[in-house]
Amino acid sequence: MEEPIIVVDKVNAGYEKLQTLFDVSLEIPRGKITVIVGPNGAGKSTLLKTLFGLTKVYSGRITFEGRDITRLPPHERAKLGMAFIFQLNNVFAELTVKENLRLAGHDLPASVLEERIREVFETFPRLRERLDQKAGTMSGGERQMLAMAIGMIRKPKVFLIDEPTAGLAPKLAREVLENVRKLNEQGYTIVLVEQNVKAGLEIGDKGVLVVSGRIAFDGPAAELLARKDLAKMYLGIS
Amino acid sequence: MVDLNVFTTTTIYASVLALLSLGITLIYMTTRVFNFAHPRLSLVAAYAAATFMAIYARSAHLKPNLEPAETSIGYVTVPFPASFYLVGVVAATVFGVVAALVEYYAILKPLLRRGADYLKLMIATLAYDFILMAVLFLYNTHRAVKSALSNPLRLTPTSLSMTAYDVSIVTEGGTFIAGMFIFSAALAVALAAALYLLLYRTTLGVKMRASIENPPLAEVLGINVERIYAIAWILSGATAGLAGYIMLFATSAGSLKPISATSPADEIVVSAFAGSIVGGVNSIFGSIAGGLLIGYAETYVTQLLQAITGYPEMFQYARVVSMAIVALTLLFAPSGLAGLLRSPRARRLLSRIPVPGRARGGGR
Ligand SMILES: Nc1ncnc2c1ncn2[C@@H]1O[C@H](COP(=O)(O)OP(=O)(O)OP(=O)(O)O)[C@@H](O)[C@H]1O
Ligand SMILES: [Mg+2]
Repeated sequence: MEEPIIVVDKVNAGYEKLQTLFDVSLEIPRGKITVIVGPNGAGKSTLLKTLFGLTKVYSGRITFEGRDITRLPPHERAKLGMAFIFQLNNVFAELTVKENLRLAGHDLPASVLEERIREVFETFPRLRERLDQKAGTMSGGERQMLAMAIGMIRKPKVFLIDEPTAGLAPKLAREVLENVRKLNEQGYTIVLVEQNVKAGLEIGDKGVLVVSGRIAFDGPAAELLARKDLAKMYLGIS
Repeated sequence: MVDLNVFTTTTIYASVLALLSLGITLIYMTTRVFNFAHPRLSLVAAYAAATFMAIYARSAHLKPNLEPAETSIGYVTVPFPASFYLVGVVAATVFGVVAALVEYYAILKPLLRRGADYLKLMIATLAYDFILMAVLFLYNTHRAVKSALSNPLRLTPTSLSMTAYDVSIVTEGGTFIAGMFIFSAALAVALAAALYLLLYRTTLGVKMRASIENPPLAEVLGINVERIYAIAWILSGATAGLAGYIMLFATSAGSLKPISATSPADEIVVSAFAGSIVGGVNSIFGSIAGGLLIGYAETYVTQLLQAITGYPEMFQYARVVSMAIVALTLLFAPSGLAGLLRSPRARRLLSRIPVPGRARGGGR
């Protein structure tokens, strides 16, 4: 099997004095969709943030493509090829769509950036019509598209995506997950936190269950989906 | 009746406040702390400017030329060549920036890294203010400094003022115009324009706006937010430095007094924060407008009150006027001048003004 792109080794992490992750070990396989599920407040978002250096790591080690990144600041991780789509506040509301996209590709050569923006418009044609609109005035669905587009501009190796369907109508939610799947088909590695356990695990290759800051299950997504005991106890589905 | 002399001195004072309020707001928007040491940075800059100008004047064998020359616009006095003033501007800017960066890197950033909260940071800025004050005390009482400043500029380090060496114009009609009036007004306008261009027309500006609005999102897009904040500190220090330079030459203007280790930092700090708050705390252009508003209000509202009440000592209460404006702002328009402009009613009014080439934002 291919080397995992990210390896988390016995990590304890949290927010300053409040520890939220305990002894977490995890491998993110390259080119696959890893779906993280768990009850509210379990530490799913914290786990994604920890991968990106946005929390305090007390002990343990995180490597990206074999390189130790445990102490690397987030902006350096972005340059290594990681992208993060937040659950909330995932676009710059005060900036226009164009400024959001330009900003995302701020370190790309101008010609490459324009080319990437064109590519993004092919995936999300609706954004093209909203170029000069402030992102804060767009609808929830449009904003989610822009958030994805911002991530895509940088052509990262791995996408960390936190609950992209939260607050969207079921039809839109399906569309968003479909976009995630398409991203993966284009070769991007995806780590997805998803509230809708069933829909999430169905598009996933690997499934991870987080409960109270610990990994309670780590294996094939289909297997997690089939575990009625876990589903009943932690995920509220029967 | 507007007295032209009152107007020019008030404009100088208002410009100084605009510069200071801007610096306070820049730091609040990025580092999220009220920097109580801010006006003291201006004093550090003023001492540096005076010292370097004195050294320059001595080494270049400059003697002040206080003879007015007759020109087409009137009698113009230019005590020193342009290079002399340039030395002052550069020294003030550089030292303002250095004093600001020391505060950020040596004091606030280590505290931030340890997870210090807003209150600890605020106390730390007060501590830095006291440290700078002590350093200035030591400086302005040192023998070497005294002798450097006294020859050839005849300056007293404990009450520094270079008003006598300002460029000035006396028009045919006998009106006196201080060079600092033109310099400070031009600076305020130029600075607002430069900031607009920086923030809205350059990539660095977009990065700054992004880092202010949503620091973690900026970080995950590969922007070094700490470095962007350091740039805000540089801008803040530079504007404090320029304010210090103006104070040095305009010490008789409005509420400005001769510079010493304490004065005028301890008094102007109130007005400078008032400008920042009235401007909306989270608006760069609001802070400039707020500073100007407070500056003019302190003079003209007290004048008005004096005329109404007939009480001659009303000017003593200038700062009560600015505090009253702050109180009214917090009560009725908590997001300040900037917030007023963003209110739905103001938006409706503004949207009636056609702006060519700007796509209409807002809902569908
Ligand atoms: N910025 C923060 N500072 C302090 N504590 C936080 C912060 N963010 C989250 N927490 C705490 O960490 C714990 C885990 O939160 P986290 O957001 O990771 O949960 P989650 O699994 O993503 O939940 P949800 O499904 O509701 O998004 C919670 O107890 C939460 O209160
Ligand atoms: Mg979450």
